[in-house]
Amino acid sequence: MSTAESDRRSGQRAVLEIDHLTVELAGGRRAARVVDDVSLAVFPREIVGLIGESGSGKTMTALSILRLLPRAASIAGGEIRLGGASLTSMSEAELRRIRGRRIAMIPQNPMSAMNPVLRIGAQVGEPYVLHRGVRWTDAVAQAVRLLRDVHLPLPEERAVEYPHQFSGGMQQRAMTAMAIALEPQLLIADEPTTALDVTIQAQVLRLLLEIRDRHGTATLLITHDLGVIAEMCDWVYVMYAGRILEQGSVERIFARPSHPYTQALMRATPTVDATDADLASIPGSIPSPFELPAGCRFADRCPSRFERCEREPLLLDVEASHSARCWLLEDGRE
Amino acid sequence: MLRVILIRLAVFVPTLLATSLVLFITVNVVPGSAARAALGIDATPQAIARFEAEQGLDRPLHVQYLDWLWGALRGDFGTSFQNHLPVGRELLARLPVTLELAALAFIIANLIALPFGALAAYHHQRRVDTGMSFLATVMGSVPNFWLATLLILILSLKLRVLPAGGYVALREDPARNLSLMLMPAISLGVVSSALLFRIMRAKMIEVLSSDYIRTALAKGAATGVVLWRHALRNGLITFLTVGAVEFGWLFGGVVIIEDIFLLPGVGQLVLVGIINRDYPVLLASALTVTVVVLTANMLVDLLAALLDPRHVHVRALR
Amino acid sequence: MSIHAAAGPRSPGERLAQIPWKRYRLLVIGGALVGIVVLAAAFADVISPSSPYEIDVTNRLQPPSRTHWLGTDEFGRDVLSRAVHAARISVKVAVVAVSVGLTGGTLIGITAGYFGGVVDLVLMRSMELLFSFPAILLAIVLMAVLGTSVLNAMVAIGIIFIPGFSRLARAATQEVLRQQYIEAAHTIGMSDRRILLGEILPNVITPLLVEAMAAFAYAVLLESSLSFLGLGAQPPEPSWGNMLNTGRGFMDQAPWLGVVPGLAMFIAVLGFNLLGDGLRDFLDPHLRDGA
Repeated sequence: MSTAESDRRSGQRAVLEIDHLTVELAGGRRAARVVDDVSLAVFPREIVGLIGESGSGKTMTALSILRLLPRAASIAGGEIRLGGASLTSMSEAELRRIRGRRIAMIPQNPMSAMNPVLRIGAQVGEPYVLHRGVRWTDAVAQAVRLLRDVHLPLPEERAVEYPHQFSGGMQQRAMTAMAIALEPQLLIADEPTTALDVTIQAQVLRLLLEIRDRHGTATLLITHDLGVIAEMCDWVYVMYAGRILEQGSVERIFARPSHPYTQALMRATPTVDATDADLASIPGSIPSPFELPAGCRFADRCPSRFERCEREPLLLDVEASHSARCWLLEDGRE
Repeated sequence: MLRVILIRLAVFVPTLLATSLVLFITVNVVPGSAARAALGIDATPQAIARFEAEQGLDRPLHVQYLDWLWGALRGDFGTSFQNHLPVGRELLARLPVTLELAALAFIIANLIALPFGALAAYHHQRRVDTGMSFLATVMGSVPNFWLATLLILILSLKLRVLPAGGYVALREDPARNLSLMLMPAISLGVVSSALLFRIMRAKMIEVLSSDYIRTALAKGAATGVVLWRHALRNGLITFLTVGAVEFGWLFGGVVIIEDIFLLPGVGQLVLVGIINRDYPVLLASALTVTVVVLTANMLVDLLAALLDPRHVHVRALR
Repeated sequence: MSIHAAAGPRSPGERLAQIPWKRYRLLVIGGALVGIVVLAAAFADVISPSSPYEIDVTNRLQPPSRTHWLGTDEFGRDVLSRAVHAARISVKVAVVAVSVGLTGGTLIGITAGYFGGVVDLVLMRSMELLFSFPAILLAIVLMAVLGTSVLNAMVAIGIIFIPGFSRLARAATQEVLRQQYIEAAHTIGMSDRRILLGEILPNVITPLLVEAMAAFAYAVLLESSLSFLGLGAQPPEPSWGNMLNTGRGFMDQAPWLGVVPGLAMFIAVLGFNLLGDGLRDFLDPHLRDGA
């Protein structure tokens, strides 16, 4: 752990620890590393953001936690721990007891993430049946309560409906209800606001905060939207092409973005008073995991690159609670 | 729900009518052929003309069709050229045989295809899957009448376990009826199961790669639960919509199989109609077989729609 | 790149071994089976030990022996020679029928897909109607009406194939139309017909080719079924179907008469099916998981 990490909530035990995780994707002769030596931690009552463009490896990282990677992908190295216990070396049976109960996931695309031929009540109540051996009628009753907790109006009527009868926002809430059913220690929210309109987005985010307040849940919030990070998160990891490029407390990162990529992201995010001239998109595109450059992965698109960048940079401290993977930080070159 | 049923019926009825029209035209398209068929090739033009006048075959085609249709709707399919008996009665007597054969074949085909299709999909891209798919291709390439011949050779002639042909009504002697129906049903069912297997496998692969399967796993469900509660239900519903297409092949084979096993069903009547050049018989029996197929298709499709809460099955241009 | 970069030219044997045979397994097996059948059909006269029509009543119903590898039938005719000649009929009918179906189906499908609207609706509804008939039944009825002969069998089976091909051609046409270069060609002023032939047709070929293989298999099956019922090739002309039909009657005395023709059918049908699967895997592996 870098000094930045150890500054954080010292004395507390992390709920989730990801240590040097590497995930490989099979395909062709060589395997590609979609997640490369990624380390992160989430503490109790914390909302940690994982931000990156699509293809950066964020979802793969999340799926690794629950070992739900697609068949072509596999964990090639590193360890993931929940409250000290190793998830990566657990048996499938033990892991099954953790899924949905101590770690829950709210996946992307709530519409396709729900079974189209089962009623909402049954799906939301399923965790009770799976983990507490409850009868279905009781599970559905619990589901109604959960739907009420996520502020879905008329939950008794909603519970007998099917997913396609729900709007996007309602589906997101139903998935959230499903996730918090057994009051998990860790909640993984994958792009909870994508494909929702702004007003609904705000409601969903507010719901996540409420869950944090009420249950003390630790949350890993995955998004590509800086605005969401700013609003919600205590700590953030910036991910790019499978690597963490910058990490730190949200105040520090926003006050002093140190990695050129983070800086570019901030410039590219529209604010209310931005003019067209201010908005800049980042030229180039994220490298494919099969064709990763030898040195710094962002070098091709980086305006500040220099010769040192041909070697992969280390994670260097910017200040307390803040570090970045960039040679510009060495010897105070910044 | 009523709306779903009504929509399907609304499409079904015109299809039936169109089908009957196509068959009618096909059979009667060659002028004079019916008369020549009934009277023989050397029939004199006068005999032909007289025959046609008697049978009303000299009227314009659409008049003939409407007349025939009107009769058919009341169960009157005309009389056989051969024995001058009403065709309708013969059809009715033979229908239960064909329906029983089709039903048994259907059950056998699905009993094989569904579990193995699901299994193959579950082991997708592994050797079990490749092996099963190859086996399915092999089984599906066997001509059903050859399989019938081989079954008779082995089970009837060599091992003497089953009778080779004939029919006894189910009501009279269920045991004997089934022993007579077993080989025909297997001949029809096993070969059809190959295609149904492919369809089921394809649908299950689709289902198993869906997001909601991952959601179920993320909730801590064990594989068995996921398969049963989430995968199979969806897979079965999507399978039903496509599986219906296979009835055409399944039921079409009824003609040959009934011939081989001497089953007095509607399929055999088609052949009788052909051999005796008995056009009313041919038309009526061919139509009956087709109607059975279409009805089965429609019922299965209806079932799928009723089971699927989304009610979005549009059977246009499958 | 691989660290084993070639250090100079490799022998043909080595290069042959490099080909990923495993991937093309189906293609190879299917091709081999089809090859056997086609060769038998093409060189029937050369391969047959004797004439398929030569009657030898003293030697009737002989089991397979050194002189008659597959035995003799009820007239003493050599079964092997008959089976090989029967391949000719099957292959001929299959080729003509598939050609008829392919041509007709492609024309209808492309027309429907290109013009859309009412044309599309009328054409495709008709095709769907035709498609809903059980194939064998339709073939039987057509043969009853047209008269039993090999030529009529070709036509009847060909007609049955038209709806299947038309559906494919239409789908492929619509897919191609989505591409923008058609728009571009239209703007330049290319006539509809040129667009159809020059741009759309080449893209439609691939799925049609795969489907054609399945059609060949089905054609062999249908032709055999028809001649089994006495509606195809007439005796003494040998066809696998009528051989199986007559063979049936002698099952207890001469079981090989029932096994051999069916086996031949099976080899032909299996060969085409495997070839079709192999082609599909070869051209577009993603289709493998579809039905």
